Amino acid sequence: MVQFLVKRFIGLIFVVVGVTFITFVLGLNAPGDPIRDMLGEHFNKIIYAELRHAYGLDLPWYQQYWNFLVNMFHLNFGYSYKYQGRPVMSILAQGVPVSAELAFWALVLQVAIGVPLGIFSALKANTWIDTTNMGIILVLYSIPVFVLGVFVQVFIVWFDQHTGASWPVSNWGTPWEYSPADLSYKIAPILVFAAGGVAYIARLSRASMLEVLRQDYVRTARAKGLRERAVIYRHALRNALIPLLTVVGLLLGLLVTGAFFIENIFNIPGIGYETIQSISDRDYPVIQATVVLLAVGVVIGNMLADIFYSVADPRIKVQ
Amino acid sequence: MDTKDKNTNIDLSSSGVMFPDSSVSPGEIVEVMRPQGGRETVETPPIVAEGGKGQPKKSPTPLQESLRRLWRDKRAVASIGVIIFFILLALIGPPIYQHIGGIYNSPTNGPIGPSKYHNPYWQELTNQDQFISGMYWLGTDDLGRDMLARLMQGVLISLTVAVLVEIVDIVMGVLIGVLAGYYGGWIDQVLARVTDIVFAFPGLLFVILLTGIFGPQADIVFSKIPVIGPNGNARLILVSIALAFVAWPLMARFVRGQTLQLKEQQFVEAARTAGTTDTQIILRHIIPNLLSIVIVASTLDISNTIIGEAGISLLGLGVQPPGSSIGLMIVQGQAMIDSNPWEVLLPSIVLAIIVLAFSFLGDGLNDAFNPRSKD
Repeated sequence: MVQFLVKRFIGLIFVVVGVTFITFVLGLNAPGDPIRDMLGEHFNKIIYAELRHAYGLDLPWYQQYWNFLVNMFHLNFGYSYKYQGRPVMSILAQGVPVSAELAFWALVLQVAIGVPLGIFSALKANTWIDTTNMGIILVLYSIPVFVLGVFVQVFIVWFDQHTGASWPVSNWGTPWEYSPADLSYKIAPILVFAAGGVAYIARLSRASMLEVLRQDYVRTARAKGLRERAVIYRHALRNALIPLLTVVGLLLGLLVTGAFFIENIFNIPGIGYETIQSISDRDYPVIQATVVLLAVGVVIGNMLADIFYSVADPRIKVQ
Repeated sequence: MDTKDKNTNIDLSSSGVMFPDSSVSPGEIVEVMRPQGGRETVETPPIVAEGGKGQPKKSPTPLQESLRRLWRDKRAVASIGVIIFFILLALIGPPIYQHIGGIYNSPTNGPIGPSKYHNPYWQELTNQDQFISGMYWLGTDDLGRDMLARLMQGVLISLTVAVLVEIVDIVMGVLIGVLAGYYGGWIDQVLARVTDIVFAFPGLLFVILLTGIFGPQADIVFSKIPVIGPNGNARLILVSIALAFVAWPLMARFVRGQTLQLKEQQFVEAARTAGTTDTQIILRHIIPNLLSIVIVASTLDISNTIIGEAGISLLGLGVQPPGSSIGLMIVQGQAMIDSNPWEVLLPSIVLAIIVLAFSFLGDGLNDAFNPRSKD
């Protein structure tokens, strides 16, 4: 176990260094001179030099990268180019709660709907219920999240126009509050956001359940005369759920990239929306910070999933 | 393993190992390797089609067998039809459409022909947000541009990016995957590390990062290339590079796995014993046998690529106005969602159809080439 953790941790460091390095190099080679952009056409050379120094841009690249890494461990991502003197973290701090809320509820729905749906389909394998179920799920799985978002928005507009309701098409209420007004903003994007993952989890839990139902211990349980419910809930289901842990990382990745689209389609002021704004403002530190934060988050999520997996199923050894 | 293989040379074939489509004439090999009754069966890694179980002479090759299975899959066949329709629409649709229609007396531009008002860039500002009509088959957008013309252009963009990305994906994936699988060693190590990073790192995030930082630069540099021109398509080069960069490691991993299995096969062993060089083995025995896995993986990746390009353009990082892309049409139509939802529905529906078609085809190909993978 210790060896497993150590190996995992080394792998994590490797990936984090890789990700930060790529992000850093891209930012370093970004076209244009941010300080000049900041100061405009006619600038004072002394102020220019001072600003360059303040942003640490006068150092050689390896020192810049080192500072970047050290600061990152203190969750300090430097200062915004656009809002001078404002730390990047304070910009991101506005979006993070919103995005976290969105992702949290999407993840909850994905597990709460996807797993039972997949298990149910597996128990009814190859009946019309299973086929329809899997057909719908394949469509949900394949259609990109922003297209689904658009369909829902068109429906909301249609609904509003025909009933006189004022269900908002976009925007977000107060983070982590659920008054009826807040909910009216949040329900549609959360549902849309969850859909792809629901389909993904349902497919996977169906396959996993089918696999388990073929195992000898399930046959043994049946042979010794257990009721079908006991066979399924006590013997099959538990084992079928273990492999699902491995997809947590993939789901996180899905949520991270999905956030960009869902937040931009629904005008939700989360971290994905902020990043796209900072891209058009050429505020590179903000972009770098988002990418590093999200990527490292996904990597750590992956690692945790692996650890849980090896705890849940001790036969799994790291390779 | 080696000695055992040599001793059981003939029996191995009874486990149904065949190669679907290699440059070696399959008929001959079947002749030589046909099981004599299976005295001893040896476990071999599951590799390719089940079709080769020593049937009488005129048995179809595994490739034919796979194609037959594909043909029986109605959903996959329908998807092929849909894909061909969209390819034709994108390629020969625009020139035909620009010849259909009479002279239109525009209040602002005077008399104009269909080559003007059916041009994806032509703005007819007196005809904004029109619904379907004889003149505008799928209506116009908020700048009075013909939606069908813009859609065909957008589909062309999607398919072009998909083709570009898949070319890079296949070339890089096969090259590196084969080298890593066949020789192992440092190439394998590097591949393993690179795939670790790429799998851990949400792919689109990298694409967003790259296009976000270098997009404006790419506009300037690539729009000087004559084929691309100044109509906002320049960033597609960057988008394609970025999408290909995150796509190839998966392909390489698939190819590597398959190569590892192939390397242990009897016919590779036989070729090596006969003195065939590594290069020859790779070119004549390994690569032809990767066909099925590469086709399946790249078809499934096409839908990801198309979604990726549309998504990146939707975020404003891909095709720039006045260019047209399905993603760009969706954002532009979204602004008109209250008054004319058709403008956002049309590109969304078309994107959904194209993506579904490629997913269904990919699934169908997978079932056809690897019939055992079905549960």
